[in-house]
Amino acid sequence: MGIHSVANACAHLQNATRAHLGLTSIPNTKYNLRLALALHRAGLIGAVRRGGPRPPGPEEEPNESEAVTTANVATRRLWLGLKYWDNQPVVRNLEAVSKPSRLVSASVSDLSRVARGFSVGPLKGLTLGETMFVSTDRGVFEIREALARKAGGLVLCRVS
Amino acid sequence: MSVARPAARRLLSGRLAAGPGGVAACAAPATATCHQLGFAHQFHSSPQLSARRKPRFANVRAADMGLMDEKQIDQFTKEQFPKYTPEEIDHLRTKYSPAQIAALEAGEAAIDPRDLTVQGRLRVDPYTMPYIDDFAETQPIIDKRAKNKEAPDPGARFMNLDEFTEDLIKWADKFQDGEVTGTLKTTADFVSDEFKKKPEGQWPGEVREAAHKAFQSYLEGEVSKQASKKDPDDTSGPTDADILQYILERSGMTDNNRTTNTSLAHALPNKVPGVAGMYKNAIDPEDEGLDDIGIYQDLKRRTGLSVKEILGLHSKQLVQRRVANQTRLGKVQKASIMYVVGNGNGWVGIGEAKSTEPSIAALKARLLAIRNMRPIRRYEKRTIYGSVTAKVSGTIVKMNARPPGFGLRVSHRIFEMCRAAGIQDLAANIPRSRNPMNTVKAAYWALCNQPDPEQMAIGRGKKMVDVRKVYYGGAIF
Repeated sequence: MGIHSVANACAHLQNATRAHLGLTSIPNTKYNLRLALALHRAGLIGAVRRGGPRPPGPEEEPNESEAVTTANVATRRLWLGLKYWDNQPVVRNLEAVSKPSRLVSASVSDLSRVARGFSVGPLKGLTLGETMFVSTDRGVFEIREALARKAGGLVLCRVS
Repeated sequence: MSVARPAARRLLSGRLAAGPGGVAACAAPATATCHQLGFAHQFHSSPQLSARRKPRFANVRAADMGLMDEKQIDQFTKEQFPKYTPEEIDHLRTKYSPAQIAALEAGEAAIDPRDLTVQGRLRVDPYTMPYIDDFAETQPIIDKRAKNKEAPDPGARFMNLDEFTEDLIKWADKFQDGEVTGTLKTTADFVSDEFKKKPEGQWPGEVREAAHKAFQSYLEGEVSKQASKKDPDDTSGPTDADILQYILERSGMTDNNRTTNTSLAHALPNKVPGVAGMYKNAIDPEDEGLDDIGIYQDLKRRTGLSVKEILGLHSKQLVQRRVANQTRLGKVQKASIMYVVGNGNGWVGIGEAKSTEPSIAALKARLLAIRNMRPIRRYEKRTIYGSVTAKVSGTIVKMNARPPGFGLRVSHRIFEMCRAAGIQDLAANIPRSRNPMNTVKAAYWALCNQPDPEQMAIGRGKKMVDVRKVYYGGAIF
């Protein structure tokens, strides 16, 4: 499973929030879905919905969406609702840490140091309002969730 | 090259002119001068001074000329500095006051004419300044214009209608021809004695009417008398020049046409009786005498601070530089000054001002800074929230919050800003351009635009707790 779709999604989300869009879509991959759900849990995005090339209607039930088949799998998208507060995007900076050219992983002790604001290797310490998403063997988590589960792994992105 | 090198040219020309036979004869004096003067001087284009200045004639001493002889001195003194003769003194008495005569005599007695001969240097060369002056006449180039007229009449005021008429009649009487009739009568001359001293307003109605009627007939009679006397060829009376002079030079005030050297009227007296106590003092008694010049009055109104509070603010000049406006008249130099002002408790402002006078620029900048003061966020009243980066032009200022006791590890201008704002723990660095003015601006922007954790938590829908306050029970200081 490559990480390129996650890195692309990060760049796209940052562009979309800086353009003050209300809704945007990323390719529907399993990795993207896990990251989107983690972002949603962290309150950084407002909604995650499966859909096709066109966004699902607001009254449409999530389960009623078109079934994924081999014929239409390539056109499936994840539709993300973006959040704004006080005329400012909730996600201002979203930077992919691991890229296909260089994967960055961190152990639990590393993550704990980074979470407390200390730099470890290529990872700069987190500052006020900053968070990080880690892909572990138990799923994609925010850094504090990963620490609560004592799970280290691949660092996907950092958001502030 | 026309600027010759004298030595080289002389050597060259001497050699050429003399030919093979004369070389030795010419070379000897040339080398001799070279040895005396050295070569360095020879290569200058300015003409050469002779090695030793020697006057062409020997000095002749005064004693040899018989000038130091006592008899000669006395004779010279008598001829050159004669004493005043009694006739001259009598004549002087007609010109000078006794005090001036006394001063003259004292001066004469104080200086011995012999000293003038022996020690004085009387110049006779054509460039001698004519110092000796009897002040008999004014020289407009040297002397100030004589103020030989009296000061303006302090009691003078503009004439009213009656006074003006009287003045006009007085002027016109100067041109009367033939028998002098004197001034014209007034209405007061046509009433009985008991009313003469009272003003016209207090006369009874019939008396006043009768007086006016009599005055009218008298005026008509006068006019007809003048008209009958008038000769068509008569050119006496005021000419156009007289009338022009009347218009231009006659005083319109009750100063009896007094002329003065100044056109300025007297200043107002210190206390004008009618308005005593009606002037409002601009200075507020609330200021307790702290702002007698009134420079903080506007600021007080704008900010709502008292003068005492304004003076208690912490202010510091951060940047001063000279700026110039190039006009067609040349460069207009000004001082551009930047000030930071803060109350040391979370309020800070910066102000920038220019003036040709640096002190005025500083004052303006400080007042502007006080006007621009605004609250900044402080974490635990000692540091900032998180880390902030601000960019102004090529200058980037990065600021980071630091734990208690860390101190201000920042550059000196940011240090002063932090002191004014009441920040005690901070790290800042300026990785790129360190332009002073942009540094201050960027630092101010950074202080004013700190992240707000509360707002972030609301945006993410999270509950936020400051663990420092939880762990230490709020006792964080």
